[in-house]
Amino acid sequence: MKIGADVLRRYIQLPETLPELRDLLDDVGVEVKRVEPSDYGPILSVELLANRGDHYCYEGIAREIAGRTGDGVILPPVASVETGESPYSVEIQTELCSLFSFTMLERTSEQSLSRDEALPLQCAGLGSVLPAVDATNLASIELGQPTHAFDADKLKGPVRVRLSRAGESAWPLFTEGPVPIEEGLMVIADDEKILAIAGVIGCEESKTTEETTRILLEAAAFDPVAVRKASRKMGIHTDASARFERGSDFSRVLVGAGRVVHLLERAGWERRGPTGMFGDWNDPNRIIALDVVAAAAFLEHPLTEAEARDRLVRYGFAVSPAWPDWQTSEGWAAPPSATKTSKDRLRHTLLVRVPPARLWDVEFQADLVEDLAKSIGYNDSPTRLPPVEMGEVPSHREAVRARAEEVLLGNGFYEVITNGFHGRDLRDKLEVHPGHSLYEHVETANALERAYSLLKNSPVGQAVEAVAANQRRQQQEVRAYEWTRVFLPDADARNGLCRERHVLWAIASGHDADPTWAKSRRPADAHFFAGLVAELGAELKLPLTLSTTSVDAQFDGLLHPGRRADIVLDRRVVGAIGEIHPGVRKRFKLGKTRPVYLEIDEDALQHAPEDVPYVEPSVHHDIVRNLAFTLPSGVFSDEVGAVLAGSAPSWFQGATVVDLYAHTEAGVAVQTLTYELRFAPGPDGRTAEEVNATCEHLVRVVGQRLGDRGVQLRG
Amino acid sequence: MSRPDVDAILSAFDAALAEASTPDDVQEVRRLHTGKKSAVKAALKGLRDVPPDERPQVAQAINEARRVMEERVATALTEAQAAALAAELDAEWQDLTLPGVSATRGARHPVTLVERQCMEVLRRLGFTLVDGPEVEDPFYNFDALNIPEHHPARDMQDTFWLPNNLLLRSHTTTVQARVLERSSELPIRIASSGRVYRNEAVDATHLAMFHQLEGLWIDRGLTFAHLKGVLAFIARELYGKDRRIRFKPKFYPYTEPSIGVDLACVHCDGAGCEACHQAGWVTILGAGMVHPKVFTQFGFDPSEVSGIAFGLGTTRMAAQWAGVTKVNTIYEPDLRVVRRLHRGAK
Repeated sequence: MKIGADVLRRYIQLPETLPELRDLLDDVGVEVKRVEPSDYGPILSVELLANRGDHYCYEGIAREIAGRTGDGVILPPVASVETGESPYSVEIQTELCSLFSFTMLERTSEQSLSRDEALPLQCAGLGSVLPAVDATNLASIELGQPTHAFDADKLKGPVRVRLSRAGESAWPLFTEGPVPIEEGLMVIADDEKILAIAGVIGCEESKTTEETTRILLEAAAFDPVAVRKASRKMGIHTDASARFERGSDFSRVLVGAGRVVHLLERAGWERRGPTGMFGDWNDPNRIIALDVVAAAAFLEHPLTEAEARDRLVRYGFAVSPAWPDWQTSEGWAAPPSATKTSKDRLRHTLLVRVPPARLWDVEFQADLVEDLAKSIGYNDSPTRLPPVEMGEVPSHREAVRARAEEVLLGNGFYEVITNGFHGRDLRDKLEVHPGHSLYEHVETANALERAYSLLKNSPVGQAVEAVAANQRRQQQEVRAYEWTRVFLPDADARNGLCRERHVLWAIASGHDADPTWAKSRRPADAHFFAGLVAELGAELKLPLTLSTTSVDAQFDGLLHPGRRADIVLDRRVVGAIGEIHPGVRKRFKLGKTRPVYLEIDEDALQHAPEDVPYVEPSVHHDIVRNLAFTLPSGVFSDEVGAVLAGSAPSWFQGATVVDLYAHTEAGVAVQTLTYELRFAPGPDGRTAEEVNATCEHLVRVVGQRLGDRGVQLRG
Repeated sequence: MSRPDVDAILSAFDAALAEASTPDDVQEVRRLHTGKKSAVKAALKGLRDVPPDERPQVAQAINEARRVMEERVATALTEAQAAALAAELDAEWQDLTLPGVSATRGARHPVTLVERQCMEVLRRLGFTLVDGPEVEDPFYNFDALNIPEHHPARDMQDTFWLPNNLLLRSHTTTVQARVLERSSELPIRIASSGRVYRNEAVDATHLAMFHQLEGLWIDRGLTFAHLKGVLAFIARELYGKDRRIRFKPKFYPYTEPSIGVDLACVHCDGAGCEACHQAGWVTILGAGMVHPKVFTQFGFDPSEVSGIAFGLGTTRMAAQWAGVTKVNTIYEPDLRVVRRLHRGAK
């Protein structure tokens, strides 16, 4: 909302300088977003609190300031409006309209509003249209009561406030032509047409024009939710709807009409008869008991009953002491909350009657305390920390994350954050078809953009897309990770829709390290990620292993079938590593780039760490022997390793692959792996013959177990 | 009988030493001229052939020559070693202005860094981090938080709706609602952080997904002054004790009173400049005392307990801290951007 500083000064005393005024407005919750100079003085763009419909006018802002400063509010002149026989027939057919008034005015001469009177319009950026229109706009801006002027000679038959019917259309102002209107919206209509979407906007066919000589001035009180629904359904948001949606002051209907009448009577219009008033609304006389002692304790401000009363009266509340008698001369009744309090408390209890303008936002003692706090000043009341016994430490989950990150960060990975959803195009690109475990997604029902259509059920697509996006920017070296969650459709889930799975994923392309002028690097391949899994296991003290025996079906078609492995923890598959499938690479236009992917269940990483006992190293050196075996494609190194470990004596310490030589033998691709075997020396030493005999035994066993699959000792 | 020619021995030694340039050369001169088979040793052995009355003088001359030789060898050795070391050091010169070659470390995302820093501050006040679902029931996202259907506040948070009348949470306050539902023991001090969703068209300043962090403190006797104290503590710990802050009234449906915390603009310190749109202040925190309706919703008696609730826009904070004006940049998967956010433009 735009307001003129000079206009606001008409309502209440303000600080002299603009910075002081701005500070004051910010201080009372009328936040100044921008100040612009203009021919009408400084124009302030203010952001209003969403629950304060009463702020949507000069009077409301002035009252808010008055609550803080204690200065009086000066209101613009309003004509006294007498009710009587209506100048026009009106029927209220819906309870959503509480009050409806019609005042007939007739033009007797052609005059404009004065410059001073029109100033609020100019400050609000509204051009002058016609006096009748300008006057209604002014009443809304000044006093917060939207009104509307119908051309009385364009109405046919009685005016009805009713709900729209199926198949009806309306022609709202500022639209090209009639538009269909949904059934059930509150409208004002005559026998032939809809005259206005109640509380939202008038319609073209009954609007006031230069030819108009008689107007019917409508001022009404509508249900906020009904106005809001109509505004949203029609996609039309006006100053009037903004005001009504937040709740208007039902007691000010005739005041608003009176302001319009006052302005128009000065512009050559005359009233014709009394104002017709329809509907029935009575002030509910909401009384709230305010425990001043409790309020003072809460605000840590030495608040007395007198001070509380004074401050609340500034905001328009009526205040009465609860003691000695519940029944005051005005007949106030105590609210139930007050009747429970002790007599002693009653001496410090005030009964506070909520003014109609505040019925929408003041319901509890807490609401009154908020006004007291604003009146004292949010920056002028005490500030202090509550007592704190002891701080907290990071949870196990946070600690595990931090330690896992150390492994990734140390290997040059950067954390990225991706969306929780993606478009159908990403699923298509992955070629995940019906029947694939990742085909089903949770779908959003009302996404504004196609990119928000599906909640992601796997990070793979976004991870590959990240590599592709970087490649498009000539960025081949990618090492990225994310802690994310995926949404797995599951009708048996607690919410009947999906489970949320927390996942750590990482992707790399290019090399395992950044380029330098000296250092040689390896390609970032699946072996690199196998090392990461081992390091994660070591850091988190979890026995993470890789297995190729049972592959997780969710990665079928996504990871290279010959370059993938499951991550296993306690015989349970908790993730996978692997090179991105060539088909996926092609569809993402990755060319020769071969990204490698890791995904692991975060809950698995939260597993209790394994106890790794300390074993004193021997004072003697281990005995080391190297054995090289040639393995055809399809035989895995850990199969040979398992045979060695399973067949060796107890003093065998372990076998590690220390060299790999990929070559062909008789035209067949094979790999020769050199295993470094370590043996404990034993307390009395161990002879070379003993160790050599053991190695020969191991070679024989490997031959027996794996020889038929082509494994042989490399000579 | 001949006397040893000490001068000649010394001259030969000096000539040899003059030729020696390396420590090994000097050691060789020492071996040849003062060792077992040296002329000076031979001279000492020949003393028995010198007449007894001359023997002391001759012996003294030989010993003096030997002492001089040892002394000169020692000096020459020191010099040769120093020269050798200097030559070695010269030869081992490296250009250390070349870029370092250690493995380059990666970095956490700016939003994560902000979250962790916030949690460090909050832990000092006894807060623990709790998690909640992103797919939510409207009850936890709206109704339990005093945002009934058709409330204008629902407009403020355009929602992604899902099947089964579920939604993607539009704020992390949902976690507060869930904690209140399952907790009864006081005090409650929890923080929640994570992704939230708004059904908005994405542009430089609007995102369909971003991050928030919220805190909730429920106990007996918490006051408005405590609320302000907690907020001031957080603001000052995160932004520095010298930065000015101010409080202002706000509206949030789930708090009453509601309050906002502004920080003096880092560029103009409150005077107003382009960076802060002439406002002089930047809002960093939204907060308030837990609304009585929220308490009663979960079985707490608002006359017995009170609560402090606050929220931080961690995405916006990360953008501010990184100096990024287009907040959507923060979520770019472009690693050039990610690196620059962490390491600058180098």
